[in-house]
Amino acid sequence: MKGLEGLRDDLGAAMAGADSALAAADRLCRACVDLLEVDGASVSFMHQGTTRGTFGSSGELSRRLDEFQFTFGEGPCLDAVAQGSPVLVADLGDPVEQRWPAFRGAVLDEGVSAVFALPVAVASSRIGALDLFRNQSGPLTERSLRGGRLAADLAALPLLDLMSSDVDWDAAARGDDGWEQLASLERVEVYQATGMIIAATDVAAPEALVRLRAHAFAQEMTASELSWAIVERRIPLARAEWLGRPGAPAGPS
Amino acid sequence: MTGTREAEVSQAFVTLASSLVNGYDVVDLLDELTADCARLLDVSSAGLLLADGRGVLHVMAASSEQTRQLEVFQLQRADGPCLDCYHDGAQVAVADLDAELERWPQFVPAARAVGFRSVHALPMRLRDNVLGALGLFGTTVGALNDEDLALGQALADVASVALVQDKAAGDSTVVNEQLQTALTSRVVLEQAKGVLAQLGGLDMTHAFAVLRGYARDNGVRLTDVAQAVVDRSLPARRLLQHAAERHTSRA
Repeated sequence: MKGLEGLRDDLGAAMAGADSALAAADRLCRACVDLLEVDGASVSFMHQGTTRGTFGSSGELSRRLDEFQFTFGEGPCLDAVAQGSPVLVADLGDPVEQRWPAFRGAVLDEGVSAVFALPVAVASSRIGALDLFRNQSGPLTERSLRGGRLAADLAALPLLDLMSSDVDWDAAARGDDGWEQLASLERVEVYQATGMIIAATDVAAPEALVRLRAHAFAQEMTASELSWAIVERRIPLARAEWLGRPGAPAGPS
Repeated sequence: MTGTREAEVSQAFVTLASSLVNGYDVVDLLDELTADCARLLDVSSAGLLLADGRGVLHVMAASSEQTRQLEVFQLQRADGPCLDCYHDGAQVAVADLDAELERWPQFVPAARAVGFRSVHALPMRLRDNVLGALGLFGTTVGALNDEDLALGQALADVASVALVQDKAAGDSTVVNEQLQTALTSRVVLEQAKGVLAQLGGLDMTHAFAVLRGYARDNGVRLTDVAQAVVDRSLPARRLLQHAAERHTSRA
């Protein structure tokens, strides 16, 4: 069995070459099934309380299971997003498990006995969850849990793409190693520049990161390069057209 | 040990220890730790790397922006004494960086370029877990004396305990959760610095000072203030105003 490093490589490679955000999310979910000793996987998306739904899945059944949560308005995935930490249900059939009565019944009927929901975050905001389903009850192994966390991190990338669906993403932009892209978004200067965009445009952090990433892509820069330019004020944000909202609050009055 | 230094050392431990008892802010605590090391030990700056639940290291705190960049550099190139320290779970002492060019072909020139001549890396440990590494950077050649090394390790140990203090901290999942929370706090803090920098025309160091000043004067956790600024539920202007008033009243 592969170690964590091998898992990381395989998960990253799984998304490579997908020609849309949806396809990338589906591929990631299928890789979870192949690599993490689970029978199904799905990614759900929740943004600013308005958009919500199942985004990617390893197959029809997983998609249906994921959608139960939105139908019934309850489920481990919604809880994982709300509390920002994994919700691990090793045995849904356990009679003491009463947290999600409607969801639980529907999922058990489909022959699934364990659900593991891991939050997905973009720019520190929780915007979705990766759900892993297993027919057999019992806890995830330490390795599968870590692998699941890696996959939940990677799931942020297609979600970011989805949020900026007006941007015409070149397939090449995500054809490479997903980890490299992710690492480039996890830099201190990117967080700082995201904050500066929040102040300049009055949008939430995930939206600010989407705009930063879209502009970096359009300018053929990495997110880190553009962020340095913003932090060092070589690219001023006041009246920057690419931010989409000119005339937003400028300096202190 | 001189009288003043002794008093400062005691104070540093009192502060760290009280964080175990009272509610505390992890980001604030670790920032304090690197500042303490830079002030109390014979080094010019300190930086702290922390591993997340997946074993991926992140820069958690640094006493100077230069040190932060150097820690980032180590992570990017997977080359440097702090990484070795984390992976081996043991101290790494480099009295003269120039002698170790072969061992860290990328790190040594980068460290020299920003003026560092010596590095000591101390593991952040909790029982069998290695949580991260504390890097101590000096601008002169020479090994830290035993007293400084012991003091640095003691500060790191107390901070490690504080970092994962919890009834169930023996459970590795809980430890991971707490580290994850700490790392998320760092992200929010950097974003909040960005908001203040943009709105007030400040550099990041001053933006941080504004944030921290507001948190301390109002008795709220640094992370909570940062989160409120990023959520825009607390107007950043109020923090800038507070800093201006603070400045005026002291002038």
